[in-house]
Amino acid sequence: MTTTNGLSPATRNGQLPKPVLRTRDLTLRFGGIAALDEVDIEIRPREILGLLGPNGAGKSTLFNVIGGFLKPDHGRVLFQEDDITYLLPYERVAAGIGRTFQHVRLFRNLTVYENLLVAQHRHLTSGSFAAMLRLPSWRRDERVARERVETILDQVNLRPWRDARPTEISYGTTRFLELACVLSLDPKVLLLDEPASGIQQKEVEALGPMLKRIRDERGCSIMLIEHDMGLLLGTSERIYALDFGKVIAEGRPDEVTSNDRVLESYLGRTRRDTSVA
Amino acid sequence: MILAGQPVAAVTVFGLSSGAVFGLLALGLVLIYRTTGTLNFSHWAIGILAVVAYAILTGSGVNPQIAVLLSIPVSMGAGVLAYRLVFRRIPRSQHIIVVLISVGLAQLFSSIAAFALGFEQFTRIPAWLPATDYHLFGITFKSVDLITMAAALAIAFGFLIWFRRSQAGRALRAVAQNREAAMLAGIDDVRYSSIAWGMGSGLAAVALLLVLPHSAGDRGGLITTFQVTPFGTLLIPAFGAALIGGLVNLPAALIGGFVFGLSHELLVLAPAPWSNLRGAIAAILIVLLLLMRTERFFASRQEIEALEA
Amino acid sequence: MSAHPSTLAPVQFEPAPEPAFETPPAAPTRRRLRPSHILGGLGLLLLVSLPIPFGDFGFFVGQYGAIYAILGLSVIVVTGYAGLISLMPYSFAGIGAMITAVAMASWGWPMWLAIPLGAVATIPVSILVGITSVRLKTLYLAIATLTFADVLGETFFKWDRITGGETGWLLQRPKLGPIDLTSDATFYVVCIAVVFLLLWMIEGLRTSRLGRAMLAVRDNELEAQALGINVYKTKLVAFVISGLIAGIGGGFLAVLLTSVTRSAFQSPLAQATSLLLVTLVAIGGIDRAIGAFFGAVSLVIQQQIFQGADFFFRFVAVYAALLLILFLMFRPGGMVQVGKIQLDLIRRRPIVGIAIALFFLGLNVGVAWLFLSLSS
Repeated sequence: MTTTNGLSPATRNGQLPKPVLRTRDLTLRFGGIAALDEVDIEIRPREILGLLGPNGAGKSTLFNVIGGFLKPDHGRVLFQEDDITYLLPYERVAAGIGRTFQHVRLFRNLTVYENLLVAQHRHLTSGSFAAMLRLPSWRRDERVARERVETILDQVNLRPWRDARPTEISYGTTRFLELACVLSLDPKVLLLDEPASGIQQKEVEALGPMLKRIRDERGCSIMLIEHDMGLLLGTSERIYALDFGKVIAEGRPDEVTSNDRVLESYLGRTRRDTSVA
Repeated sequence: MILAGQPVAAVTVFGLSSGAVFGLLALGLVLIYRTTGTLNFSHWAIGILAVVAYAILTGSGVNPQIAVLLSIPVSMGAGVLAYRLVFRRIPRSQHIIVVLISVGLAQLFSSIAAFALGFEQFTRIPAWLPATDYHLFGITFKSVDLITMAAALAIAFGFLIWFRRSQAGRALRAVAQNREAAMLAGIDDVRYSSIAWGMGSGLAAVALLLVLPHSAGDRGGLITTFQVTPFGTLLIPAFGAALIGGLVNLPAALIGGFVFGLSHELLVLAPAPWSNLRGAIAAILIVLLLLMRTERFFASRQEIEALEA
Repeated sequence: MSAHPSTLAPVQFEPAPEPAFETPPAAPTRRRLRPSHILGGLGLLLLVSLPIPFGDFGFFVGQYGAIYAILGLSVIVVTGYAGLISLMPYSFAGIGAMITAVAMASWGWPMWLAIPLGAVATIPVSILVGITSVRLKTLYLAIATLTFADVLGETFFKWDRITGGETGWLLQRPKLGPIDLTSDATFYVVCIAVVFLLLWMIEGLRTSRLGRAMLAVRDNELEAQALGINVYKTKLVAFVISGLIAGIGGGFLAVLLTSVTRSAFQSPLAQATSLLLVTLVAIGGIDRAIGAFFGAVSLVIQQQIFQGADFFFRFVAVYAALLLILFLMFRPGGMVQVGKIQLDLIRRRPIVGIAIALFFLGLNVGVAWLFLSLSS
């Protein structure tokens, strides 16, 4: 199942599969500034999709709109052809959209183990009274949750830190914990907001193959925001370039990086950024 | 209510005078919240310390007017100590702890007050403002109401001018607007936060000293067990007044005080079910103000985020 | 991993990073003795030993402490678990107390139906406050609950048909078959049984889907949503459960005191008592059920016992408030956290640890003895 030519497996068959997630004319303004300006994107099944663009181009805003944390002024978000524009974040998780944040959040007062238990929420069904009275449905739930957490603890090698709190482990490790939490949701589409920021170079290099393996083993689609160009271009099969809330280019990584408008916006903005810094 | 049946004008005067008191309490709350990010649930309890000091001083034969001057610093000291010893040491990001601590301080100060008063059901305290009745157009104005209103307005405006013009006031506003930038500009954060706590607590003391020693008309005033509870009897309308300014705007908080004072007293004249529901109406108004998130109208997004972070 | 064993199992992640500064904690050992067991045992010991020196007064104090522990449990759920500051737990208790009282005294209901009715009667208010809590951050919610207590005091508690006007209700403790609740000793046993039942239930809630959702919402609402938790529902459930428990506590309070008047549930007394409840719980340990039990039992018992010793009774309020502030500043986990630290010390250096524990225990007993002998 490894992709050799940079195209997703489905594309190689010569026909475009139905997108698992797409947006239609998404527009969102903050004051007078358009954070998103009629954004149309789509992500296909089992695809790793990259979002490229300078700071403030609207990438994280797009994630927030897809995840339900921001409401668009107009436009729609379609998940497997269902309109989810007005669903709440937890309803989107139930539908199959999982996301991580640019800055790791997690639950600082809970241990690694408890963080992962919280992430099993959507797989459990028992109510509060079942728990208070220790009914069988609660017992079953707890067994399921604990088994799932034990498995994932070994998969991400977090077992040594099982009883530590996120504040007691390195930033890189919390990144892995966050990823483990989101994977626990069994998402169909995984939105990763700068997974490589703040972690060591050795770990960044391991991240690309890992994301591909997650996609292959779980069959989910991954949408990636990343400022590490090596990781973004090496991992993504297709890329959208954004600037000022608009999609300015779309295509294979090599196509997008050679696109004149992308170069212009990126270099222009980069120069401005450095002068400010 | 004594005022029921009296003409609108007399009730209005009374409403304006209690509104002035709410306004003073609210000014103190807003000053402390705006500069240090702590909403002071112990505001009333700190203010009551001054009244207790006043009761003790006058009880031991000190002239009431002098006792007022001596007792205001008691509250100011309590406020500064609360900041220096407690709030300065708690990270502002721990919202729950900060609220619980300020609630705990309310309990501490009110129980100290009850302790100092010897757990009496009632403590009688003398008035310190002259009591005369003025008759104008057939309406009776009580001098206490007029003086309270005038004094509260004078203090509030004096305070607002001080806040806008003086060096300390400018520094306080700088701290309120951008703490980091103010610290980089060499403004001593701790010093000015202490000033805010001292001034705010002083305002609470003045408000309570205006109202409590005159609560029983010509015969002076009473401190009841209700008043030495942690939130007292007037803190909730004071929160309402402060909320009219979104907890951040000083002049709006003063106006808010008058809104609450007037509506509370004018409802006395309303027909039966409404006049009995005065307290409930004020409380519901406060919840509505909270849900409206009034701070949006008075402060920029960054400022609100900095305060709530 | 029953849901997707095949898809999850083969995923092999890269080894987790091994930063030099970080040493993994030792493999978890199964602890048999936990701080909660010790505090629970101490509290129970305190409760059970009360009647020995104090006789009937001991039974009364024990009931009082147990009922405050029930009310404290309602604070645990809403503030400790879900992180929602509620300064109105005593108002919920008031609803329970009033409905129980009116049902027993006026409608002639039996106690075992009246108390559940009182608990259920809190639900509409819980839902109203819960809906508000969804839209308000910590600070604003604190003000809102303070005002809601006022609204209830001005409306519900002024409803003469329910609250019996200024005079309130007088009720009689019933006999439930062989259980004669008019006897203080029997009622005392019933109260303790109810506390432990509720304690067991609330501790169970913590390790469940919704309990963990509450802890998650307390820590980080945004992340909780991102992990599929319905924040609205979680907050509502927290308020409803908390209200039910407070209602039950209020019902028992009415039966204990046999006289209920509305002024206790009106401003400013309602807020003052609510605050006392939050204080008791925060000293005991706000995020564990046992904290409510230990905090309430130890402090209420001290307060009641020193009622005889005039000076010290007055001093208890100052002492509790000071204790609260010191605990929040230095040991925000309350007595539960202190117990845990002490237990760890005993594990590492048994002799020193036990010596320190005995010293403080002895100090407390000694001071209590001193207070009591001074008062008599």
